[in-house]
Amino acid sequence: MVENDNGEVRILAFLCNWCSYAGADLAGVSRLQYPPNVLDIRVMCTGTISPYHVIKAFQMGIDGVLIAGCHIGDCHYIKGNYMTYKRFQVLRDVFKFIGIDEDRLRLEWVSAAEGERFAGVIKSFTEQVESAGPSPLRSGWGKDPGQWERIREAFKPLVTLEPV
Amino acid sequence: MSIKERVRELVGGEVDGVLGYRLVGESHLPHLFKADDIEEMAEDYPVGERYPLASLVRRLQAEDPGMRIAVVARGCDERSLVELAKQGQVDLEHLVILGLACDEELARACGCSEPYPSEIVQGQKAEGAGEDHLVDKIDRLPAEERLDFWLSRFGSCIKCYGCRNVCPLCYCKECALDDAELVERGQVPPAQPAFHLVRAIDMAGRCVDCGLCEEACPVGIPLRTLYRKVGLAVRDNFGYRPGRSLEEKSPLAVLGTEKDLE
Amino acid sequence: MTDYQTVPTVCPYCGTGCGMLLEVSGGRLSGVLPQKDHPVSRGTLCVKGWTAHEFVHSPGRLTRPLVREDGKSKAASMEEALALVAGKLREAVKTHGPDAAAFVCSAKCTNEENYLVNRIARASVGTNNIDHCARL
Repeated sequence: MVENDNGEVRILAFLCNWCSYAGADLAGVSRLQYPPNVLDIRVMCTGTISPYHVIKAFQMGIDGVLIAGCHIGDCHYIKGNYMTYKRFQVLRDVFKFIGIDEDRLRLEWVSAAEGERFAGVIKSFTEQVESAGPSPLRSGWGKDPGQWERIREAFKPLVTLEPV
Repeated sequence: MSIKERVRELVGGEVDGVLGYRLVGESHLPHLFKADDIEEMAEDYPVGERYPLASLVRRLQAEDPGMRIAVVARGCDERSLVELAKQGQVDLEHLVILGLACDEELARACGCSEPYPSEIVQGQKAEGAGEDHLVDKIDRLPAEERLDFWLSRFGSCIKCYGCRNVCPLCYCKECALDDAELVERGQVPPAQPAFHLVRAIDMAGRCVDCGLCEEACPVGIPLRTLYRKVGLAVRDNFGYRPGRSLEEKSPLAVLGTEKDLE
Repeated sequence: MTDYQTVPTVCPYCGTGCGMLLEVSGGRLSGVLPQKDHPVSRGTLCVKGWTAHEFVHSPGRLTRPLVREDGKSKAASMEEALALVAGKLREAVKTHGPDAAAFVCSAKCTNEENYLVNRIARASVGTNNIDHCARL
C-alpha cells in the first residue's frame, strides 16, 4: 500500500520506450524542471499496458496514473496506441461511474523530441491530481463507523440489500 | 409450431442432440436430449429458471467438435452464442438455434429491453423493460456518494466467483481473478473496488446483459448495473453492441482503423 | 458422442443446504450449477458449493485403505485397517481411560453416519471427545 505521511500526491507514469520515455530523457538532459511526484515505468509500447495495471495501481493507493505514448500514426509497433486509446476511454467512463475522479487517469502523446512538452504534461497533471487530493482508495475508507450509517441512510430508497 | 414439435423433427436426423430443459419434479433442469429421451423435454420456460445454455454449447462442442446440436435460445442466449462465435469459442455451423421469445412477465423481471432472438420458434415478441433507471440514478449522484455506494456494495462480496462461473462469456482457462498478484489470496471481501473493476473491464464489448451474474450473487451486488454502464461506455464511444452482428467484432478485440479513434 | 445431464442435490458442505445441480458428462462430474428454483439458495452458491464437484475425481483422493508401516503408507485391506484401528483404540482406552480417544465427524458424511460416530464415541468408548470438521 502506498502511504504518504507528508500528504504529497504520488503519480505513476507509464512511458513507452520509443517516444515518451525518450522525451522524458530529453527533458532530464535539458535540465527542465518538473515536480518530483512521478514514478516512471518504462514499457515497450503503451499497448502492452493492461487495464489491470491501472486498476492495481489505484487499488494500491496511487493518486494518479499517466499513460504517455507515441502520437497516433507514429507507434513503433504501428497500432499499439490505438488499443491504448480505446481501453483508456472505457477505463475513464468506468472510473467515473464508480466514483473515482476520472481526471486521475490521463493519456498523452509525447514524442522523443518533445522534452519541453513532457515537462509541461507532468506539471499540469501533477497540479490536476493535487487539486483532486489524495486518492479516496488510500487506506482509511470505511474505518469511520459514522460513514456506514450515512451510507445506509442515503441509499435506503435506491436499492434494497435483499439478495435477488 | 412449438419448440418441442420442431425438435421431434430434428433429433436423430439433422441433429444428434438437443440442449433444453428436463422436468425433474417441478424443477426445469438443463439436459442434453437424444432421440431416446426427447419426450421428457419440458415445454414451458418459467420465469426464474434460466441457465447459461450458451456456456453448455461451448463446453459440449469443445468435447465433441463434430457433434450437431440444437439449443433452446432466448434473446440473451442467442446474443451470447453470437458473441462467443465471434471469439472462436462456438461453432455456429454445427448448431441449430431454436428461438424462444420471452413473455412480458419474464422480460420485466429480467429488466430486458430485447427479450427475443432474431428468429422465433416459440413465444410472442414482448415489449420488455426500458432503459435501466439505476444507471441514471447513480450517474446523477455526486462522486463521493457514488464511491460510497459502490464500495459498500462490494464490501458484501463473499468471493464466491458465482458471477464469473455463471457468465456465458467467461471462458478463460486462466482467469485474472485467480491471479495471486492481482487478487490477494484468502482476502474476503476481495480488494475493493479492484476485484469488481477487473471483472467489469473484462466485460467491455463482451457482456450481452443476460443478468445471470446478478441472479447468482448471494449478496445482491448490483453487478448488472455496473456492466450495463460498461456496455454503454463501449456503445457511446465506439458504437458497438455485443451479440448483435455476426460480422462486426468488438473494437477492443481488434486494432481497428483511425476512424475508430474519433 | 458426448452426453450431458444435471442431477439436483444438496451441497455436501455446511448446514445451509443450498440446492445445486451436479453436471454429469461421460460418466464424470464436470461441474456444478446453482439450482435456480431452490427455496433456500434461490440460484446462488458460495465458493465451496461451486467447487463441490472437484474432490470427487481429485487425484489426491483416498481410494483404498492405507496402513502406515515404518513411516511409509502401505495399501491394505479394509479388514486389516479396521482391525488395526480397533485394536489400537481399545489398547489406548484400556491403558489411559476413555478420554484418551477423540473422534472427528464431517459434514460430508450423512446424518446417519455422524450419529453412528456419536454412538461409538459416547456409548461404546465412553468419551465426550467428539468434534466436527467445521471447527478445524
